[in-house]
Amino acid sequence: MPLIELNNITKQFERKIALSSLSFHVKKGEMVALIGPSGAGKSTLLNTLAGITAPNTGTYLLDGVPIQHYKKRKELAKKIGVIRQQFDLIASLPVIQNVLAGRLGEWGFFKSMLSLFLPQDKQLAANALNRVGLLDKLYDQTSKLSGGEQQRVALARLLVQSPAVILADEPVASLDPARAEDVLAMLTKLVKEEGQTLVMSLHSVEYAKKYFSRIIALRDGEVFFDLPTSEITKEHLAELYLLKEMAL
Amino acid sequence: MMSKIKIPSKKRRFSFVAFSILLALALLAGSWGHIFYAERANFFTLFNEQNAEYAKKFFSGLFGLQEEKPAFTDKEAWINAGKLTYETLQMSVMAIGFATIAALLTVIPAARNIADGTLTVSKRWYRWILFGFFRVIYIFSRAIPELVWAMVIVFILKPGILPGAVALALHNFGILGKLCAEVIEDTDARPIRNLASSGASNAQILFYGIIPTVMPKFLTYILYRGEVIMRTSIVVGFVGAGGLGQQFKLSLSYFHYTEITLLLICYIILVFAADFISEGFRKAAK
Repeated sequence: MPLIELNNITKQFERKIALSSLSFHVKKGEMVALIGPSGAGKSTLLNTLAGITAPNTGTYLLDGVPIQHYKKRKELAKKIGVIRQQFDLIASLPVIQNVLAGRLGEWGFFKSMLSLFLPQDKQLAANALNRVGLLDKLYDQTSKLSGGEQQRVALARLLVQSPAVILADEPVASLDPARAEDVLAMLTKLVKEEGQTLVMSLHSVEYAKKYFSRIIALRDGEVFFDLPTSEITKEHLAELYLLKEMAL
Repeated sequence: MMSKIKIPSKKRRFSFVAFSILLALALLAGSWGHIFYAERANFFTLFNEQNAEYAKKFFSGLFGLQEEKPAFTDKEAWINAGKLTYETLQMSVMAIGFATIAALLTVIPAARNIADGTLTVSKRWYRWILFGFFRVIYIFSRAIPELVWAMVIVFILKPGILPGAVALALHNFGILGKLCAEVIEDTDARPIRNLASSGASNAQILFYGIIPTVMPKFLTYILYRGEVIMRTSIVVGFVGAGGLGQQFKLSLSYFHYTEITLLLICYIILVFAADFISEGFRKAAK
């Protein structure tokens, strides 16, 4: 049974069609890159997958259950974790609290209050930070960290949250190439180690080819192609990114 | 040779700004003209001999030139003034404390982005009612100046520092509430919404997301209003709310000029100390 099952999803904003009859399946453990020109609907698709945006029509089964049936945030947080371009973290809190925020779905109110003063599940946070190589920054204020380090803290939070599916919306768009590669390599490695499923939108086709086994290309809210990385040719890509004016 | 292009001409319109500047200039010229030509007023009549005599008497009184024993050389008077200074300090600290507690308890429902649910990704029908309710209370309490609050409250309670503190707190509660609600409205919603996707409940979002983000800015506003309260405490004292202000009014009525000097010295020390302390706190909060 596929973990993510989208059937004929459409989404309209005002008059603009963001997604039109979109269908695809993602199996457990797959690594999928979403590519496509700006405004193709990548972010809308990821928000739909995260359950933040409700589609107008179509069905979305997450682990065999319609997404609307996940009434509680805590249940959904076990299935889906999100990492974004930046601004993921609470800048005024220390790193450890941002990492432990991944546990908020598990904790009750009183435990989470206590943790603000006496961090709970410290070992878990320390392990996660160690895996992203930031153990020494445990007690630093998050706003003092660089952009790349902040994304790694966000990764540590995902490790602590440990969802079945990770959705990443342009997680490296605001980083320089070296930091971007670093974060991507780390994220894909961790996802493999944990046996999780990853869906990531990317601007860079190069990164998509390097780190992902399957690439879904979106254009004008539709699936333009959905192929294993090895079968993608230059012609595919040229056509995908063709400017509208030239196509006419 | 450079080719001549036609520069697009700027469209001149009689805008609101231009109109108000012209109106202000016309008012200025008109009113000064009225004062000089219609009323035949002369600025220099203020400096006549009579007024000079009064001023001389007052200032020499302040410096205690004619007195045998000016208050500011008297140990007893210093002790008394010290007590009043301490009372004023108590009044200010109580006032900022009351105002802060009341504002913090009401500020979250009073922010627009909490009411419409954009910050916490959740909607409740009663939130708009709470929003309107607290915002109206804020407007009401800050619309009435602290002096008027003090007059009313001294009328109900007996004169003393508690009514002064309550009066100062009531006025500043409305100001703090509005300023802090605007801080919440200006926060970046993205990190806070991300907490929701890691499974945090609304209460957890409040303590892990909203409060840590807004607290440093809240602190700046609270300290700033604290300084203002310290300075205004002397004014509410005039109407019987205790402290340095009340004594100042009494000394003025009894023509005890040197006591006024002493009280002013204490007051200035107090204001300097308040500025110094709040500056220190602000630096520490950064």
